[in-house]
Amino acid sequence: MTEDPFADVEDFIRQRFEENFQQLTLESGHTLTADVKETALQQVLLYWRKLRHVAERVTDTEVRLSLPNQTSPQGREFTIEGVVDIVRADDQTVMYDIKTHDADYVRANLELYKQQLNVYAHIWQELRGEPLDGMAVIATDFPHAVKDALANPDPLALPAALQAWQPLVPIEYDPAHKDRTLYAFGETVDKIESGEFAPPPLERLNETIPGALTHERFGTRICRQCDARFSCASYRQYARGSRQVGERRMTYFTDDQPDQELWRDAGLSG
Amino acid sequence: MSTFRDHLLAITGRELPTIEQLWEMTGFSPNDAQRQAILHVEGPLYLTAGPGSGKTRVLLWRTLNLMVYHGVKAEQIFLSTFTEKAAKQLGDGLRSLLGLVTNLTGQPYDLAGMYLGTVHSLCQRILSDRRRFSPNRQRPRPPTLLDDLGQYFHLYDSQNWEIVASAAGLRPEPEEAVQAVNRLLNDADSGSRHRAVEALRPIFNRFSEELLDPADLRPRLNSLQLDGFTPQNVDFLLALYEGYRHSLQHTRQTDFALLQREAFQVLQEFESAGAVFRHVIVDEYQDTNTIQERIFFRLASGTGNLCVVGDDDQALYRFRGATVENFVQFPARCQTYLAQTPRTIALDINYRSRAHIVQTYNRFMAQTDWRAAEGTTFRVPKTIIPHRADPSPAVLSSAPAAPEDACREIARFVRRLIDEGKVENPNQIAFLYPSLKSEQTRRMIAALEAEGLLVYAPRAGRFLEVDEARDVLGLFLAIFGRPRIEGMGHDLEAYQIYLTRLNERARELQETDPLLKQFVDDRRAEIQRALDDYKALQNVLTHNRWRPEQPYDPAAMKRALAAAPGLSETGRRLVSSVYLDRLVPLRAREGRPLSLEYVIRRATSLDWNLLDLFYQLMGFEHFKAMFDRAERNGDEGAVANLGLLTQYLARFVQERVNVITAALLNDHKFSGMFFGSYLFALFRLEESEREDEENPFPRGRIPFLTIHQAKGLEFPVVVLGNLDKRDRGAPRIERLVRPLLPRPASEPLERMTAFDIARMFYVALSRAQNLLILAHFSGRGQRHHSAFTPLLNEHVTRLADFDLATLPPAAARDETLPRVYSFTADYLLYQKCPRQYMIFRKFGFVPSRSQTMLFGSLVHRTLEDLHHELIRRRAATASPPKKDDR
Repeated sequence: MTEDPFADVEDFIRQRFEENFQQLTLESGHTLTADVKETALQQVLLYWRKLRHVAERVTDTEVRLSLPNQTSPQGREFTIEGVVDIVRADDQTVMYDIKTHDADYVRANLELYKQQLNVYAHIWQELRGEPLDGMAVIATDFPHAVKDALANPDPLALPAALQAWQPLVPIEYDPAHKDRTLYAFGETVDKIESGEFAPPPLERLNETIPGALTHERFGTRICRQCDARFSCASYRQYARGSRQVGERRMTYFTDDQPDQELWRDAGLSG
Repeated sequence: MSTFRDHLLAITGRELPTIEQLWEMTGFSPNDAQRQAILHVEGPLYLTAGPGSGKTRVLLWRTLNLMVYHGVKAEQIFLSTFTEKAAKQLGDGLRSLLGLVTNLTGQPYDLAGMYLGTVHSLCQRILSDRRRFSPNRQRPRPPTLLDDLGQYFHLYDSQNWEIVASAAGLRPEPEEAVQAVNRLLNDADSGSRHRAVEALRPIFNRFSEELLDPADLRPRLNSLQLDGFTPQNVDFLLALYEGYRHSLQHTRQTDFALLQREAFQVLQEFESAGAVFRHVIVDEYQDTNTIQERIFFRLASGTGNLCVVGDDDQALYRFRGATVENFVQFPARCQTYLAQTPRTIALDINYRSRAHIVQTYNRFMAQTDWRAAEGTTFRVPKTIIPHRADPSPAVLSSAPAAPEDACREIARFVRRLIDEGKVENPNQIAFLYPSLKSEQTRRMIAALEAEGLLVYAPRAGRFLEVDEARDVLGLFLAIFGRPRIEGMGHDLEAYQIYLTRLNERARELQETDPLLKQFVDDRRAEIQRALDDYKALQNVLTHNRWRPEQPYDPAAMKRALAAAPGLSETGRRLVSSVYLDRLVPLRAREGRPLSLEYVIRRATSLDWNLLDLFYQLMGFEHFKAMFDRAERNGDEGAVANLGLLTQYLARFVQERVNVITAALLNDHKFSGMFFGSYLFALFRLEESEREDEENPFPRGRIPFLTIHQAKGLEFPVVVLGNLDKRDRGAPRIERLVRPLLPRPASEPLERMTAFDIARMFYVALSRAQNLLILAHFSGRGQRHHSAFTPLLNEHVTRLADFDLATLPPAAARDETLPRVYSFTADYLLYQKCPRQYMIFRKFGFVPSRSQTMLFGSLVHRTLEDLHHELIRRRAATASPPKKDDR
């Protein structure tokens, strides 16, 4: 009876992960490099190891919350939808939003997450009339210390690193957030429907993202990963600004690809 | 029913409103027929739904009624639609309405378990749903699915073709089989495998869809009344079909038609298949085929709850094996399979079009003789009643004139519609054609362009010939060089001309943009660098007598490789990369040591693949301007085309070549793979229209569609640009297949094409909301379908006589269903970057390097599986459930 009935869960994760990978690759027409795929698997496995007490008690997974009958400032009708996980245990109901972001980033940008979860809380609590005792973001992107520990042959390294990792970020309930967010949501719907798709201005790209490692700026963290950056006016200004003025008019715009070596090996051995 | 409501009241403490109250809350007031259809619960239901009769709403509310008021769970519903887009619309609509109910009652509904999608996706789901369709047995993983293009490539592949050919009883050589197929099906003495494959594909698919069994048919061939084929011919085709199926088993693949056959097989073997779903609902039933009919009746066999919705007048897909009789004779089929008579409800009030338009298509259909023997007809009798009682003229035609003049008149009129604000955006005016690949289409496009209007017609002509595709592919050709393509024939000649035009286009672009020329030259230099380095490194191998497959030993080899005479700086850097040094022991430990050949491939490969190249090219002024226009609510047409192009490029990168190595660049091998094989195939296939195109109609452009593509859509203004479609008699495949069927088909071969043509034009006429414009061509060689004659003579208003003031302005958009926006995938993505949103979410560009989207989906889907598994295990190990465990 002492044997862990969940001993084979990691095998289950690996198997489902592989199946999902195959299927998503087929559906989307593109794939992941080997290292990125491995990181994705590690995020799920480490979630299970670190937050097993949460995972085991999830009662409702991927709950779709919807907020119908919304009207935008310009009079468009729409419905908002979001997905959360729910844990009901010990007379407590907690709502979790799992993000593949890192916890430091979440803590530094708490406002964004508050907006989102307070809309969900509104749907859950006020519209559905369900109890709610707490909300939290689960940030599955593990820190460098855990990454290093994974490669460390010392068997004690990983438990220690996991111990220090704090992937759960509580979010406070504040109804005022909801109203502001719903209005902003409606404005966004209007912009999408009327075809406004200009990129963020240069100033935005130059902003340092709070909580990002090594003080990355928006233009580096977000835009440099974007395949459409070569034709983006804002990014080109951003990238050129950080280079020597001399090369400006002489040549066409070019930009390095991040992780070139990894890409090459993933493509060659695939 | 009342107990269910009591139950709900007990658990939520809140009263469920009546469905009538919900209708009121959402501003819906159903007519009598709609109300009856929505409230029908038990037994088969036959809904004949005319155009614009609100059938989507009826489906939506009927499903909601089942779930909310009759306790039917989402996973007990099977709802099949014709396109993925329709499935998404229904899903969105249902989630909105159910969300409303949840917020009123606290009772949540989750659609994840519902079987909602196209027949094909639902069949795929049946095959992988081990839990529900084979609880006691393990089934192997379902085979991978080939789409139409994949099926073509599979058959065209010489190894597979050999398997197919050798299965034919005559045991011919592969090339003889090509000849034999072309003689039989193309009346041609041709050695073109392409033509043979294209002739065979529809036949193979039809054999699958009709559930034909070669072993059962073969002994009876001599006793069948064949039409235009000898028993030997049929035997030959059956043998090829068997060979084809064999070749698929070989590669663990399947096609769309066989996928259904395999799903049906599972249902036949699974005893309780009729009890898995409490309700089976099928939309667009007039376009179902034999195998689909069997699947639906099998699934409904336990309950009899089969609801079909359709309109025989809108049947369009005979060429894909659909049989409209499945719909017309549904009551009789219900007797056969379910021993029940369905309730018939006619939805015949049209909410879409102004009265004049409805009267016009009613009258149009009356021109065809639909009578069958003994007082029956081949058409479900009906008259559509317009709800919009506005009496002013809404069907116009150009003055009878030569095509050039008529097109000019229409183009001027369209210009006025836009200038006077009768439409919000040019994309609200649709031009419909029986086929877009025609002289009429080109003429009309030219007339509109002469008025300064932009059109969106990626399927008029080949997609590869749209400007944006030619621009990008031309530059690719300039970079990789033109390959020699072996072979002969008209297709190849046309393709060679196409390639020459690509070259010219690339030269023009480079002349106007010197930076672009520099970019092309630099890429060519990189290719040359890779080739030279390849030679230099090969020389080191030869000199040292190393074999390519030998494991790479950095200690012994690195220095020699890096010092290879003539090796470029880049090559040297790649050979001596620190990253590579770290990789060597890592791979050795994994038991997959790196070979010398790998290291050379690595050092001589390019930094970019075709998709990377595509995105880099977008940075040049010519392309960048296209994005700039689309970003600021201008013309989106060019960007939409570029998005389509990435889907073709991604397929090549994914299935053929990702990283481009020197070994591939040698002898123009790579160029041969891309231009000589892949692109040539796309060129020859001419991009058959995809009616289920998910991409939206770009703003700022007037869309040109085939009538098939317009199925299920509506537009404020519709122009029918060609009133002619020749009746060339029944297609050969019908003559081949009919005698092989167990059940005699009812529409006579000599009349069915006339029926099909009438139905096709009916679909076109019924798309218009406010205005329908007919192009009236006259003069030498001009003709129109005879059913238009009385309309043109007395029923329509000429453009010149029309008072534009009587035309109501176009509604901003389709108001029937509110759109669902996801907090993360829409709102947050847009907040992050509106431009990214447009490119990747709205126009479906396939990313090259960015992995964020796929990464997130993969983690979330696996976490969801994990949670489900943990919930399942907990339920299995828990003590007997308590009465009230909430």
